[in-house]
Amino acid sequence: MSKFNKDSVLGTFIVIICFCLVCSVLVSSAVVALNPYKAAAVANDRQINILKVSGFDVQGSVADTYKKHIEAHLVDVQKGVLADEGKSAEEIDAFDFKSLSKKPESSIAIPASDDFAKIKTISKLMPVYFSKDDQGNVVRVIVPFYGQALWSTVYGYVAVDPKDGNTIKGVTFYEHGETPGLGGEIENPRWQALWVDKKINDQSGAYKFRVTKHPDHEGAGKDFDIDALSGATLTSAGVDGFSHFWLGKAYQPFLQNLSKGEILK
Amino acid sequence: MSEALKVPSAKETFLEPLIANNPVMIQVLGICSSLAVTSNMKTAFVMGLSVTAVTALANFCVSLVRSLVPGSVRIIAQMTIIASLVILVDQILRAFAYDLSKQLSVYVGLIITNCIVMGRTEGFALKYPPIPSLLDGLGNGLGYLLVLCVVGSIREIFGSGTWFGLTVLPTVNNGGWYVPCGFLVMPPCAFFLLGSLIWLVKTFRKDLQEPKEYDTHREDY
Repeated sequence: MSKFNKDSVLGTFIVIICFCLVCSVLVSSAVVALNPYKAAAVANDRQINILKVSGFDVQGSVADTYKKHIEAHLVDVQKGVLADEGKSAEEIDAFDFKSLSKKPESSIAIPASDDFAKIKTISKLMPVYFSKDDQGNVVRVIVPFYGQALWSTVYGYVAVDPKDGNTIKGVTFYEHGETPGLGGEIENPRWQALWVDKKINDQSGAYKFRVTKHPDHEGAGKDFDIDALSGATLTSAGVDGFSHFWLGKAYQPFLQNLSKGEILK
Repeated sequence: MSEALKVPSAKETFLEPLIANNPVMIQVLGICSSLAVTSNMKTAFVMGLSVTAVTALANFCVSLVRSLVPGSVRIIAQMTIIASLVILVDQILRAFAYDLSKQLSVYVGLIITNCIVMGRTEGFALKYPPIPSLLDGLGNGLGYLLVLCVVGSIREIFGSGTWFGLTVLPTVNNGGWYVPCGFLVMPPCAFFLLGSLIWLVKTFRKDLQEPKEYDTHREDY
C-alpha cells in the first residue's frame, strides 16, 4: 500500500470525515448524558421561582417544600375553568406554555387592539399553581405572565388572593434581558414588594392596576398604582402593558370564577 | 517543519500571555465578549473560566492532531474541535450552573467566534507539541480572565454597588447612600475601561509600546 497522502483530495475528505464523526459522537453523547441534570436544573429553577411568590420559605430541600405547598393545575384561558383532564401530574407541573403558544393548534391569536403584551399569540391552556398552607387551604393562586419589555421578553409569576381574585400577593420575574441596574431592577425585591396588596380591578370591575411614572399614593389610585422604575421607562411600560394584558384581559374569566368560588370548592 | 522550530520554555508559554502578550490588552482580541459579560463579576468570572477551558483544550487537541490535518482545510478542522468543546462547556453550564447560563445566554456559544481561541490554535498549537500548547492555551485564557475580572470588578462595584453579588456600596435603590453610575452597567463603558487598562499597562511597561511606524523628525524624506 502506498503511503497515505493527507493533502490529496481523497486524503482531505477522509481526514475531515473522521474528524467530524469523532466530534459529533463526543458532543451528542455528552448532551445525552447531561440531559437529566439539565432537566433537574430547569425544574429546580422553576420551583424556586414559584416558591418565591407562594408565601412559604424553603425548608429543607426545594423539591420537598414545593411538593408540600404547591399544587399545579391547568386553566383554559378563554373559559376560565380548570382543564386538567387527560394530563399527568408531571405534564401539568412542567407545562411548556412558551412553545405551545407558537403552535397554531394549541394557541389563540390576540387581537392587535388587546395585545398590550406584544406577544401576538398565547397558549390555550396555562398552568396555575395553588399555594397551600399546612392544613391544605389554598392561600394564594400563582399564575405565569410575560410580555415584551425593552430588550427582551420578560417572564414572571404573580400571586393572587384566591378569596377575591383581585388582590396581588406577590410577584417575581425569572427571565429577562433588561439592562442590569436599570430595567434589571425589576428583580429588586424592594420594588417587587410594592406590588403586594395592590388591586387589579376597582369595585365596578374596571381594570385599574398600573405601573406609572406618576403614581397616586394618597388619593383614589393608591390601591392600584406602582412607581415605575427610574431610568427604565420602556421596561416599566412593558411590565405595565403585559400586566394589563394578562391580569386585565387573559386571566379575567379565571379570576372572576375564582372570586365567585367556582374554582376552589 | 515543527521539529525545526525551537519550542519555547514552559514558563515562557504560560506567563507571557498574562501581561506581556495579553490577548485582550496587547493583541486586542476578544473585545466583543469582554464588553458584553463584564457588567457583573459572576458572569465575567464564569465566562473567563469557560474561555480558559476552551482555549487550553482546543490548543491541546489541535496540537495532538497537527500532523494529520491537511493544510488546505486546517481552519475548518480547528473550528470543528473548537465548536465541539464550546458545546460541551455550554451543556455543562446548563446542567450545573443553570442560573448563570441564563445570564450568559448566547455568549458562551459565541466563544466559537472568539478570536483568542482561533488565534492560539492557528498561531501556536499547529506548530508546537501538546504540552506547551496546553500551557499556552491556559496562559491566554487566564490573561483574558484577568482582564475580564478587572473590568468586571470596576463595573460591578461602581455600577451596581456589589461584587460577586455581595453588597460593597449600599445603593439608594436598596436603602443605602450610593447613587450607582448607570453608565458603568452599559457595554460601551467597558471600552473606556479597556482603553484605560491598555494605557496603564503600556505606561508602566515601556517595552510593550510598539515602535513608531514613522518618525516625523527624520530629514531624509
